[in-house]
Amino acid sequence: MSFRYKSALLSLVSMAAIYAWYFIFLLIHFRTGHPFNPVSHLIFTILLLAFVQIVGHLIIAGTSSDKYAAPDERERAFDRRATMVGYYVLIVGALVAIATLHIGFDGPKIGDAVLFAIVLAECTRQAVFLIAHHKAA
Amino acid sequence: MFPIANSVRAEREARGMTQSELGAAIGLTRQTVAAIEQRHYSPSLEAAFRIARLFGKGVDELFQWEE
Repeated sequence: MSFRYKSALLSLVSMAAIYAWYFIFLLIHFRTGHPFNPVSHLIFTILLLAFVQIVGHLIIAGTSSDKYAAPDERERAFDRRATMVGYYVLIVGALVAIATLHIGFDGPKIGDAVLFAIVLAECTRQAVFLIAHHKAA
Repeated sequence: MFPIANSVRAEREARGMTQSELGAAIGLTRQTVAAIEQRHYSPSLEAAFRIARLFGKGVDELFQWEE
């Protein structure tokens, strides 16, 4: 496995897991109405993701001999394809987030919907990159 | 499988090169060289010329279209 493959896998798994926890926590809060600080919850989530990404990348860089190799034409092609798919997911997600305005979402909820669209688009981008790697391995 | 067959593996092995060495010589990763050899990836025209030039062959000698 190349460094970039491991990096994409780490990014996908960490983002999906940490933001799944973030949104499930948020959903439980909306259902039960227990008081909590959404700003500190978001900041903690971002810091946790940054920590996992930094430590995880240091570990995989230590085990990858190709960590300094520049991406070649095949990997750039995978990246273009993944970014294209991720972009469409982001556009649809952003439109859906805007549409939530019409079903009574307030500012913070629309913000969370936008955040969900960004996370979904980034996870899709990493997943498409990994799938392209697998199909052309 | 891509329709472009190639003799990259045979030429590389005849010169005692590893996939990593070939990749480093032409600016591709080892994984891409392996994918080209297994016909899972068709290289760009530029990469095909680089490989052919390295082996001292013509592109049409190294790569063939197979229906």
